[in-house]
Amino acid sequence: MWSRKSAMLGSLAVAMYLLGLTLRNTQLVTIAVVIFVFLTWAALLGNHADVASSGRRAEEWSGEEGVALGNVVAMRKLSSARMFEDGELNVTLRMQNTSSLPKILEVRDRVPEVMRIKEGANYILMELGPRRETFIEYTVECPLRGFYSLGPVTVRIQDAFGLFHKEKELHVYNDFLVFPKMEDLKETFVKSRVPKIFTGAVNIRQPGPGSEFYSLREYFEGDSFRAINWSAYARSGKLMVNERERDAVSDVIIIVDSRAVAETGPVSRNALVYSTRAAASLAKYFLGRRDSVGVIVYGDEVVSVDRDTGKKQLYVILTKLAGAVARGNIPLQVVVNRILPHINKGSPIIFLSNLEDDPTIVNALRDFRARNFDVTVLTPSSLEFEFDAKRIDRTGYEVMKTERDVLIGELRGLGVNIMDWEPDMLLSTALAGARGF
Amino acid sequence: MTLNRPSGDTSHLYDGKTVRSSAPSRKKLAGQVGSGGAIPQDAIPTVEIPSFIESLLGGPLVPKMKFLPPDKMVQNLQIGVYGVLVALAFLTYIISPPQGTIWYILTGSLGLANILQLTIIAGATVLGFMGTFRRDARLSLGSNLLFILAILRFASSKTSLSNDLFNLQGSPTMLSVLVVVYAVLLIMYFELSNGVIRYSMLDTSIRTNEVYVMNPKKIVSKYHRSLIINPVLATLLAWFVLSANTILPAIVGVFSGDTAERMRESVELTSVYGVALGTLFVFITVGILFGLNLPTHLQRFRERQAE
Repeated sequence: MWSRKSAMLGSLAVAMYLLGLTLRNTQLVTIAVVIFVFLTWAALLGNHADVASSGRRAEEWSGEEGVALGNVVAMRKLSSARMFEDGELNVTLRMQNTSSLPKILEVRDRVPEVMRIKEGANYILMELGPRRETFIEYTVECPLRGFYSLGPVTVRIQDAFGLFHKEKELHVYNDFLVFPKMEDLKETFVKSRVPKIFTGAVNIRQPGPGSEFYSLREYFEGDSFRAINWSAYARSGKLMVNERERDAVSDVIIIVDSRAVAETGPVSRNALVYSTRAAASLAKYFLGRRDSVGVIVYGDEVVSVDRDTGKKQLYVILTKLAGAVARGNIPLQVVVNRILPHINKGSPIIFLSNLEDDPTIVNALRDFRARNFDVTVLTPSSLEFEFDAKRIDRTGYEVMKTERDVLIGELRGLGVNIMDWEPDMLLSTALAGARGF
Repeated sequence: MTLNRPSGDTSHLYDGKTVRSSAPSRKKLAGQVGSGGAIPQDAIPTVEIPSFIESLLGGPLVPKMKFLPPDKMVQNLQIGVYGVLVALAFLTYIISPPQGTIWYILTGSLGLANILQLTIIAGATVLGFMGTFRRDARLSLGSNLLFILAILRFASSKTSLSNDLFNLQGSPTMLSVLVVVYAVLLIMYFELSNGVIRYSMLDTSIRTNEVYVMNPKKIVSKYHRSLIINPVLATLLAWFVLSANTILPAIVGVFSGDTAERMRESVELTSVYGVALGTLFVFITVGILFGLNLPTHLQRFRERQAE
């Protein structure tokens, strides 16, 4: 291919040549001829030939790269196919020159735009000897969740002056998955009101066998001596026993708002990023306590992960969260109508949304509350993201903040545990705030 | 600021207040609030796209015009550019007398045209020096354009000199040599000044770990070889093209001596049309070679030889 530089020189030469002929100026023609010769020689050395012009049939044509790049092979190895946000990925690119001539190559391994090269380089200028191979190693940092692909490897060969070049894309792709990063939660303050058949680790606000303190009561015959609260006995003079909260497996439903409006704000700081991280952290916490966790992600469609337990479920949830894309504008009411028949009455529901651009939110959450669901809403504030990014002015911010506060107040009035999640607040703090701690 | 939005269905709860039940859309709001037009820095992934001038000069490896201090290779190239620039300025002055320049046609004054022509050559030289020293592609490009402007003359087909220091005017061969040398110097100046920018980019990107270079010595030595071989070959080939008025009669002379003699005495063949004819023949040959896919065959041949 011609570079802009060679095209410019070529045009200059043509112009000078024609002008020289028109003006009968030998000097101009001479200069034009020298430029032509220079270009021709560079093209010849660079082995640049338009293969199509040779008259060969299309099926015989081996591509733009021709012979020079025909013997270059690339392979790639990743240190891992799955990682969490802010994780590092070590890439080893193996370049082989199977021909018997040395080559000077520019190699660029295409890395997704959001990734950052932390160590090494994905752009290499190399002299690769005949029948030699080399390993190029670099490390990329993956700051944002998602499905990503490395590749293709672009190889370029050009003449010394950069006049002509040939490129070949080696279609070597490696897919990998970046999960949203998780915060370690000690306590979520989310409790179910409905017992299930199997005992588990989640308190359901009923006395029974468990580990968490529930209340004190008088001693009855048959109570274990180990349950006697001696301090209370000393205070009251009556034998008192500790009652514990009953542990049971509980269903926890996490709803993530991934509508287009959820991505309002900077790429790395917006409601969707915060919501997916929160959902991942909560899922890990509840699954760690042997709860049954289901996730619903809605945007342009309602994607749900059925309730289940265990590590496999965590992997399934993380995969869904990694693939959540901000698209569409399905109202929450539609989601609620769809899932209501399928979830156990009284199950804790955690809703993660910036609460914007959806007039059905109040009614939808009212429907949940009317059926005695324990609803917790964490609402990452897009307003703060945008105000921090200086995209909205002070007046606009104040007006919208007031409106948002009014909405939050209204939802709180419905009995929803809600917290305006500010950008620098830890998830555990936000959860505690939502539950009034 | 007023937001004219329909009230939500819970607004009746707030008698006398104009509030909505749902938060406004940032998307819609973005068009309504005043100073929020700028897109925040971290909202856009950094995509490095070379500017027009950068790509015009060969396409940078990393499009950053702020270079680190030059390494030895770049310094040597800069010294080379200074040398070529002085020689080029001198030759430009020699082979472009003010007669026939556009300044002479416009002003009709030889003195004024001379001053303007000298100013342009001096401007091209100063810009070239500055562009090379500061490693600024825009100044180098400006210098290139001024040199091209200086050489544009609406004069006769004969090469004339503004200052015949070496008494070359009487020898057409030497005049041709002078013009060819000038043209080669012009191209070498283009290449070297561009090389300063390209290798500064490369050096900067190597030192900032954006590009990794394996065997840099071999890569640089290839460039150095090309800096010598290419101009020499270009000179020889150009000389061959420009000698059509002697080569063609010699070829024709094999078949017919009279015709060859007539060709030698032909005014057209010794003029610009002779050069054009030579160019035509040479480039038809080159075209045929490319049409036969010679470079690919050459490459295959080299590969087979190396087996």
